[in-house]
Amino acid sequence: MDIMKTPPKTTPEKSKDSPSPSGSKRKVHTPSSDSDSEKPSAKQDTPDRKRTPSGSPPEKKRKTENEEDHAHNKQKKEKQEEERLKMQVLVSNFSEEQLNRYEMYRRAAFPKAAVRRLMQSITGCTVPQNVVIAMSGIAKVFVGEVVEEALDVMEHWNETGPLQPKHLRESVRKLKSRDLITSTKSKKVLFR
Amino acid sequence: MAESEKEQGAEFEDEEEDTPLDKRKKIFSKELRCMMYGFGDDQNPYTESVDLLQDLVIEYITEMTKKAMDTGRPGRIQVEDIIFLIRKDPKKYSRVRELLLMNEELRKARKAFDEIKFATK
Repeated sequence: MDIMKTPPKTTPEKSKDSPSPSGSKRKVHTPSSDSDSEKPSAKQDTPDRKRTPSGSPPEKKRKTENEEDHAHNKQKKEKQEEERLKMQVLVSNFSEEQLNRYEMYRRAAFPKAAVRRLMQSITGCTVPQNVVIAMSGIAKVFVGEVVEEALDVMEHWNETGPLQPKHLRESVRKLKSRDLITSTKSKKVLFR
Repeated sequence: MAESEKEQGAEFEDEEEDTPLDKRKKIFSKELRCMMYGFGDDQNPYTESVDLLQDLVIEYITEMTKKAMDTGRPGRIQVEDIIFLIRKDPKKYSRVRELLLMNEELRKARKAFDEIKFATK
């Protein structure tokens, strides 16, 4: 079930020796977020078409809309294909250490049973399987964000070696200020 | 029966909050180590870092679960609640969408495979 593990979209940090190129790699947008930004532009086009006094019947407008959707879908699929080919080329040129790291990156996942147990102990009711799958996926992305930010912090402080708790704490603090980590412990009371 | 289970659940929750840091059960230790290596850390991460990350993950899941309980149908968790909570974070949002799509595809593929098996028998 390797398909269920991390997809090839987010490029992982390869080694700490090359800071700048890998730093720019990590900020790469995921293709699906790009495709989500494509959709609103398609929706904005259609009201303009309705306003043009071409006198075309509604069927023709629907056809053009469908064609546009098809064109966008084709573009998306082509982009995905391109991405996959690029990843293939990249992975085929990995050194052994990089291959090891990439394999760990794809394969590591939280055990569904433990996540389900944890969630059920909090909710008290049964948790559907989709939710467990979603939550484990989110937790993994969360770990990724914290670790990557901590590596940045460590680089910034000119230190090397395994990550230390101080780096992790600093990274959590930074992510909190960027609103990527929510905390209900400090609830602001607006009106007393 | 259900009440006693709920009490046990509440007790378990209290125990998790009250126990000192040493006694926190290490439920994610092995997987977390592999994950940290995959994301760029050393091949042998520090035990303290792994422990800290485990605490962070448990706290994160707990917070999300509590928030999800409040949204949508209160007292139950559905996938839509999770998606609603994640909507502002593009990475997590796209990852969840993709995972759920994959899950659907796998389910369809398994169903089709079973039907073929059934038909050929």
